[in-house]
Amino acid sequence: MAAPRSIAFVAPRYAEGATVGGAETLLRRLAERLAAAGRSVTFFATCARDHFTWANELPPGRREVRGVAVELFPVNGDRDTARFLARQTAIDRGETLDRAAQLEWLRHSVNSDALISRLRAEAARFDRILAGPYLFGLIYHAAQVAPERTLLVPCLHDEPFARLDALREMFASVRGCLFNSEPERDLAARLLGFDPRRGAVVGMGLEPFEADPTAFARRRGLSKPYVFYCGRREAGKGTPLLTDYLGAFRERTGRDVELVCAGRGPLDRRPFVRDVGFLSEEEKREAMAGAVAFVHPSALESFGIVLLESFLAGAPGLVHAAGAVLRWQCERSGGGLWFRHYPDFEEELALLLDDPALRRRLGAAGRAFVRREYAWPAVEARLCRALEDL
Amino acid sequence: MSADIVEIGADGVDVAAVVARIRKTVDEKIAAGVYADARIAAAERANLAQLKNDEQFAGYYLQCLRDAVYVDISDFEIRERRAALAPLLVRLKKAVWSLLKFYTYRLWSQQNQVNGLLVTGLESVDEKHTERLRALEARVAELERRLGAAPPPRD
Repeated sequence: MAAPRSIAFVAPRYAEGATVGGAETLLRRLAERLAAAGRSVTFFATCARDHFTWANELPPGRREVRGVAVELFPVNGDRDTARFLARQTAIDRGETLDRAAQLEWLRHSVNSDALISRLRAEAARFDRILAGPYLFGLIYHAAQVAPERTLLVPCLHDEPFARLDALREMFASVRGCLFNSEPERDLAARLLGFDPRRGAVVGMGLEPFEADPTAFARRRGLSKPYVFYCGRREAGKGTPLLTDYLGAFRERTGRDVELVCAGRGPLDRRPFVRDVGFLSEEEKREAMAGAVAFVHPSALESFGIVLLESFLAGAPGLVHAAGAVLRWQCERSGGGLWFRHYPDFEEELALLLDDPALRRRLGAAGRAFVRREYAWPAVEARLCRALEDL
Repeated sequence: MSADIVEIGADGVDVAAVVARIRKTVDEKIAAGVYADARIAAAERANLAQLKNDEQFAGYYLQCLRDAVYVDISDFEIRERRAALAPLLVRLKKAVWSLLKFYTYRLWSQQNQVNGLLVTGLESVDEKHTERLRALEARVAELERRLGAAPPPRD
């Protein structure tokens, strides 16, 4: 078929400045690359920046950002957070919700009626609508506007929400899916019965960079070796596990290793944890380059942008074995190790601390892998092929 | 350990082989009791849910439970970090502790008793099921041998 020329993107947030979110960043960058390649691209998102409060912080309206027409709309004000959380907790506990309860959960999730109305009015001019991540009411409703032209970018995790009938139906109704990794595609097949032929693995391109491995420690007055984590700080991402593990490691081995944490969200404040908050891109890369390892204990990732960025910075990865995607990235790149439990973690971190040559070689392997697999030309080729084939 | 790192080509490292080797070492150390440590049991609080699909989950979980099961009710030294009022504050804390001791010891002893019974019960259930499973596996293997069928793949 002819290459789709006019593309819409729908996401709960527009990733810019301090708005952190892997899925949102991925969608924004794909949109910008398509715009740079001469396609007409519109990005619909809400005015929210914070994924905890979903407050409308950005001004609504339309503006042009790097060739993309960005249109922001307010999050619905009638959202009943208490009802949403009650349903969400029940889903999290593994309770079976009937269809009405599932729809109630979606209705009180993040939604924007203004955005959906606008999308409905404009849908005819778009050849494809790319929407994600999958578990928001906004995306569920956006996928119903023109399902025959909608490609989900689900950023799917193995979590209770992925087992809901309503979301299974959404996956079945759309034209196809763009996955970030092969394990994510396999998960969709296993959990949702999704036919892999209706999906394509695309991922996101990453620009290579050089970073001074001593700059971050110098600027921040760090004299001890440190491991680095960057991203949302919450139980789902494994940050409590990371602070617990490093605390036990320090006590048991007597080794003075610090944890430098960047990003937003609550954090267990212990003497060895340095909360550096939101970092600029440059400082984040320097922090990665100087770390003994980038530790990513999350089991719920569909791509692992920060892990791949840390590979580019030359830092080895140390990831949880339960995170199929992160483990897959480490295994196929040769850039990192994975642990099942604390004893594995202790052995592996001690090995990385004791063997700088191994660290360098893991870092070099990871870097070469990202430059090869996630160079923008390679990703753009996969994206264009997917847009044409699906 | 670095001398044993598995090489691929000129620069690469076979990370799967490295992890496999580390796991082997770790499993041997676990069996030898190197990781029987209440601090590890505490550190694993957020991880046990991730391990539930692991083949060795039950054994590791029980080990963590055994290490964490008893509340330490031994007496402890009362200290004060604020140097200025330290003697006064230490005396005050000792007075408060002497009033609470009787009550808290009673509670903790009961808690230890319940914890101990629970872990023994779980261990007994685990042992029973493991034994039954082994017996069933042996019977299946024997039946397959008699039928001349190749055993099914384990993974």
